[in-house]
Amino acid sequence: MNWGFFKRSRTRPKDFVQEFLDSAKTQIPDIRRIDQLSFTILDTETTGLDPQKDHILSCGAVKIESQIIHISSAKEWYLESTKKGKEAVLVHELIGSNSKIELENFATELLQYVGKSILVGHHLGFDLAMLQKALSPFGFSEFPNPSIDTMNLAIRLDYGLLVDRSRINLKEYSLDALCARYMIKTEDRHTAGGDAFLTAELLLKLLKKAEKKGIENWGLLQK
Amino acid sequence: MANVIVNRVAEFLKSFPPFSFLSKEDLELIASNVEIKYVEQGEQLFLKGDPAEPHFFVVKEGAIALTENRGGKEEIAEYCDQGDVFGVLALLGKRPYVLNAQASEDSLIYMIPVAVFESILEHNSRVALYFAAGFASGQVVVRLDLSQGQIARKALGNHSQDHSLLIFSDPSVIKISENVLTGSENLSIQEAAKLMSFQEVSSIVIVNEKGFPKGILTDKDLRTRVVAEGISLDTPVSNLMSDQLIVKKSDAGFSDLYLCMIRNRLHHLILTEDGNSNSPVKGIISDHDILLSMGNSPAVLIHALLNTQDLSEMRAIRDRAEQMLRYYLENEVAMDFVASVMTEINNVIISQAKNIALKKYTHEYPDLQHIKFCFLSLGSEGREEQLLRTDQDNAIIYEDVQEDLKEKAKEYFLKIGSEIVEILIKCGISPCPGDIMASNPKWVQPLSVWEEYFSDWILKPTEQALLNASIFFDFRPVAGHFSLSEQLTEHIYQEVSKKHFFLNFLAKNAYLNPAPLGFFKGFIVEKSGEHRDQFDIKARAMMPLADLARLLTLSHGLVKINNTFKRFEKLAELEPNHTELFIQAGKAYEILMRMRALEGLQHGTNGRYINPESLGKLQKQLLRNTFSPISELQEIVKIRFQLDYFAK
Repeated sequence: MNWGFFKRSRTRPKDFVQEFLDSAKTQIPDIRRIDQLSFTILDTETTGLDPQKDHILSCGAVKIESQIIHISSAKEWYLESTKKGKEAVLVHELIGSNSKIELENFATELLQYVGKSILVGHHLGFDLAMLQKALSPFGFSEFPNPSIDTMNLAIRLDYGLLVDRSRINLKEYSLDALCARYMIKTEDRHTAGGDAFLTAELLLKLLKKAEKKGIENWGLLQK
Repeated sequence: MANVIVNRVAEFLKSFPPFSFLSKEDLELIASNVEIKYVEQGEQLFLKGDPAEPHFFVVKEGAIALTENRGGKEEIAEYCDQGDVFGVLALLGKRPYVLNAQASEDSLIYMIPVAVFESILEHNSRVALYFAAGFASGQVVVRLDLSQGQIARKALGNHSQDHSLLIFSDPSVIKISENVLTGSENLSIQEAAKLMSFQEVSSIVIVNEKGFPKGILTDKDLRTRVVAEGISLDTPVSNLMSDQLIVKKSDAGFSDLYLCMIRNRLHHLILTEDGNSNSPVKGIISDHDILLSMGNSPAVLIHALLNTQDLSEMRAIRDRAEQMLRYYLENEVAMDFVASVMTEINNVIISQAKNIALKKYTHEYPDLQHIKFCFLSLGSEGREEQLLRTDQDNAIIYEDVQEDLKEKAKEYFLKIGSEIVEILIKCGISPCPGDIMASNPKWVQPLSVWEEYFSDWILKPTEQALLNASIFFDFRPVAGHFSLSEQLTEHIYQEVSKKHFFLNFLAKNAYLNPAPLGFFKGFIVEKSGEHRDQFDIKARAMMPLADLARLLTLSHGLVKINNTFKRFEKLAELEPNHTELFIQAGKAYEILMRMRALEGLQHGTNGRYINPESLGKLQKQLLRNTFSPISELQEIVKIRFQLDYFAK
């Protein structure tokens, strides 16, 4: 999938955006071992599946450091919004009961939270495209952070790096299918926090599997 | 309202005791602090003897086997499956684990921080009793009926202590054998061996007619040099004995003797009347005696480190060392001993890291194998003062190479340096925020470039150069060829003696740090930021002392003493009219090191920021007393280096 069709934001980055961009640039040495990496696992719930028209309703995230999920880092943001997509309500059964956060506050908190960690998600490209669009009013165009898509990682662990994607049944690599296969009980599906948490558990298991295959440092993992 | 992730964790815990006894608020508090770890079948969670971690465990999915060694066989003491709680020693006794924990299936483990749980134990007697019951029944808390546990409470009061470290508070526990088996130089090997087996000892000290030690023959020598080599049993012992003897005075302090053995990796240490080999033999200590009497001792840890290149194991050993450190600090063991032991442990880790790195990269660069290099520790580690695993500061210096090898050498040593740095990170020593590490190309350089660096700093003491001085001037060779580091030291000595005004700049810098006491004799605390109202013990008290000690020793042309309190010791010798002050300053520094390390251990931080309000009256007084030498020394420096005439 290609989400690169958005026009780049021309707005001058706000201070908090610039600060984030400056700090997130740091490179991770290739030989850093997997258990020394820090990951931000995130998921967004949206009004629909078209990043051009739809917008974010909520965002959930949790961190993995030293190959440990830190529940104390668990976050959920519910965004203030004017529109309510029918589709979203149907799919996600979101109801407007949680306390909402203004877009700019959300942007500030999110960037501070992400820092220079590695971004992780299932179909991460979609979430990042949604976030980048949401943050564009503040002069944000894209995350400089390294990233890992759990779907791609799962496929790679089964077929290796040189797989022909057209021959894979991608349905077997949906979050639901992978959770079933990796014995992760699916609860709270279709809430941003719930999905982020499931993805984090999935990542824990995938990383162990990767290590067994000799993928033991960042250089090998990011291939 | 707690978020969905916290709720999910709380939901699970709620169905199992003791969490089922918790109020909704307490449960939420616990859940929001849980850490989740995934272990695969066969993976170890902890081993018997490991220091208790700051959390205990709940099985979320899978199964964990708790095992112990009985007569060399691994026996299963308990199985824990979903909802079972284990590893609670961390919660109750803060003692090392008594069982091994291994995943017998792929398992998801929830880790509950002890700190959070402790407050709940205090006000919830049902939970406390639950743990008490489990604790009494073999340390494994399984889901059991509360009524069984009623009797268990008493047992909590007197859990036995780990004796392995007590030896240091009572040196007399270690037996120095005064009946040393000795023999003359013209004994044959066979005669010597006969004497040894008759006396049932593992060594014989060979002495001359006056009883002065000339050499030693051990069981190991008989194995490696006699039997394995097939040497005639009539050979005189003098041909075979080790004659490079290290001896100590028989009434030397235990820590002195012990350190000597650790440093020189001696198995036997001979004691004589005067402490040199021209005096009669008085006793002998063997490492075996020591090892047997201790579990978590420096020698055991170093021995273990020397025998592993497995990173997780190295990390675990370094964690154990921290437990030992805490014991030393709490029991007021002399600081130079404590610092030396911790430094030695770090040294061994670094040389192992170097070996691992070499193993990984030498074959890629066969033409560089013979180029000498040296890994330097800088800053506090360079001064042998790093007790806690605060930031690493290090660098690599290598021999100058021919033009055509330059690029390659750069690449090679950077790889070696980066690998060592990563291994240290893995062992819990965090990276330097200023990137002064052997993974930064700027600090991996041939000798000639290092000489230029220092010349430049000395010639042009900019603000940055002076800042660098506090880190780089305290370098210490740790692994590789020490001769390179010595050449650099020599170069610096030459440069400083030529450009004497550099010292004036250094002095100004040492004087700039304000005295730590405010106008009303209150502590100067941080005014803003994360550490507001806390006292920065490093910047306000330790750095000024370290800076002053460095400056004064440099001005005396002393370049080889790195350690701050040893520098003060030496200064006390060199400047008789200030002896008292320097001794005080050295003591002050030791006290500050101890306070900082204890603070750090207690709160799991680097100990740098102390809240003065949290200190007891005595400690406050103690801390305040350490400040008076600082301002007195600053006055001396001010006059000596004519700071008043020195342009601002």
